[in-house]
Amino acid sequence: MDPQDLQETIHTKLIKSGERERLKELLRERLAESGWENEMRALCRAFVRDKVTSSVRLDDLIKVITPRGRESVPDNVKAELLQQIRSFIASNAV
Amino acid sequence: MRARTSLYSNPKPCKHLSDYKLRYGTTPFENLHEFIKAGLNGRARIEGIEVPRCSSCNGYRGRLYMCLICSAVSCLNHLGLHTQSGDRHDIAVDVERAELYCCSCGDQVYDSEFDGIVVSERVRDLPEDKNGGFEGVEERTSKRRKLKLDPGIEDDPKKARTMMSLGDHKEKSCYPSGLRGLNNLGFTCFMNSVLQALLRAPPLSNFLIDRHNHDKYRNKSGKNPCLLCEIGTVFHAMHSTDHTPYSPARMLYSWWRHTPSLASFGEKDAHEFFISVLNGIHDFSDKGQERNDSEDKGNCQCIARKAFSGLLRSDVMCITCGFTSTTDEPCFDISLDMPTSNLSFKGVTNKSVEPNERTCSSTLFGCLEMYTRPERMGSDQNFHCQNCRGTSGSLKQMSIKRLPLVLCLHIKRFSQCLSRRIILKNGQYLQFPFSLDMTAYLSSSTVRNRFGNRIFAFKCLNSDSSVAYEIFAVVCHSGILQTGHYVTYLRVKDQWYKCDDPWINEVDEETVRASQTYMLFYVQRRLVINFQRVSTRIASAVKQSSKG
Repeated sequence: MDPQDLQETIHTKLIKSGERERLKELLRERLAESGWENEMRALCRAFVRDKVTSSVRLDDLIKVITPRGRESVPDNVKAELLQQIRSFIASNAV
Repeated sequence: MRARTSLYSNPKPCKHLSDYKLRYGTTPFENLHEFIKAGLNGRARIEGIEVPRCSSCNGYRGRLYMCLICSAVSCLNHLGLHTQSGDRHDIAVDVERAELYCCSCGDQVYDSEFDGIVVSERVRDLPEDKNGGFEGVEERTSKRRKLKLDPGIEDDPKKARTMMSLGDHKEKSCYPSGLRGLNNLGFTCFMNSVLQALLRAPPLSNFLIDRHNHDKYRNKSGKNPCLLCEIGTVFHAMHSTDHTPYSPARMLYSWWRHTPSLASFGEKDAHEFFISVLNGIHDFSDKGQERNDSEDKGNCQCIARKAFSGLLRSDVMCITCGFTSTTDEPCFDISLDMPTSNLSFKGVTNKSVEPNERTCSSTLFGCLEMYTRPERMGSDQNFHCQNCRGTSGSLKQMSIKRLPLVLCLHIKRFSQCLSRRIILKNGQYLQFPFSLDMTAYLSSSTVRNRFGNRIFAFKCLNSDSSVAYEIFAVVCHSGILQTGHYVTYLRVKDQWYKCDDPWINEVDEETVRASQTYMLFYVQRRLVINFQRVSTRIASAVKQSSKG
């Protein structure tokens, strides 16, 4: 199967089974525990503070913070989520 | 640790949003209502589209927005396309977050009516408070004070103070009116210290100046001596021109009659005394009837309630479904925990203390924050959610629904060590401010936080002016409980005085800050200025009565 199609199928199955919501909550919990959330909040605050002249638009903030956020996710959190997704795929015959 | 910032100013709508509201009103929001699904922690999303996809590119990744006019879903890349095609289709909603977005401005926008609808999903049981008793009282007392005075002074405390000190020069005794030592009648420093603080509480002293206030209502045929009358006697003794230390023997006796269980020699807990005195005043409150019913919450208007009573809110949220049950309880004070990390007995508490708790709780802000922090109640606590029957546990959060005029913060330094049957004291230094802003600990703030800072009209019993507090008295304890000693530090016009039984001395701020504070007494700032005027009234009233 085309990787794009595969991704789409997995995405759809995740949503329909409710697994996506569960994984999201799990991810949120892990990120909060590891202090990642607080780090991001501090980064956002710093960004907003520096922008003295104009007010910050949501899109700009997201554009700046997203790469920083992605690279600082702890490895164990990534591993755990990947593992969960793998076992979902395995048990759902995708 | 800094206090939580508490500046919530509602953002203004962009012109596209205002236009939209003018054209369509709140109907589209209400129509959306059934599709809003509330999740945990104040999160909400739009349901109804199973797998949301961009109508232009069929993409399903990233942020997707649903137009509020035609319900077309677009991804960020194609939002612009949609806006240009339709007739002013600016306003959309983020499908995963239930937040409004203005496509023309390219930024998130906020609307209180929309947020109200999102929140109404979850907020079912917030009680509809009628503004009856409390607000009415506030208005009455402040009207009484505003009568004869120059409106200009109210805004300028410095001006008020200079006017005051000019008046004082004429009858200059060592210390301001109302400061007088109290003799120790045998381990009664717990009573003396609390009395010193109580008698300087502005609402109470205002009430006591005029003896007739109480005489009208008290039950003259009651069996027990009236505590409030005795307090009034002490009050007038404190303000008399006689500066030798006063012996509050009758007060002690009346209190013994009222609380026989504590009627014995030996050191007592000052906080316990404080609460029992307030209860005693409440029991003999107006309408001339002895009130044995402590459930009588809303109806009682005794001075103890008027001055000290606040409302504490306890929210219990189910972890599984988010359903919240709320209970409000009146209180005379707030008892705050200190960190237990200093005590070496790990068996005392079951909670493990994290390193950052130790540093952040040694300030008053830390203690208040700990108090209003959501606490996870484990699944071993037999929790059954009324809504979803889930048993995974709950989150409990305390907050202050209504602030009292006089806020007493009790620091729980004493704890029972079960294994050794002795009472331990936590002597750790506690940093505290002289000016306190209580906004972050109000129910309106914690509920706002819980719903991701959504804007909505929260029935608030606290106006902006009533969250700022000034300290006026501190009761400190030194030594261990059984053989310790209480003293009170009083703040009169920016000068601190130490009241150590019969001895009154001027002290500097550092001494006060360095002491082991046990009870902190704050009063709403707007009452402080008034009290300074009241002091001259008392002084002249006393002069009058001593002449006549």
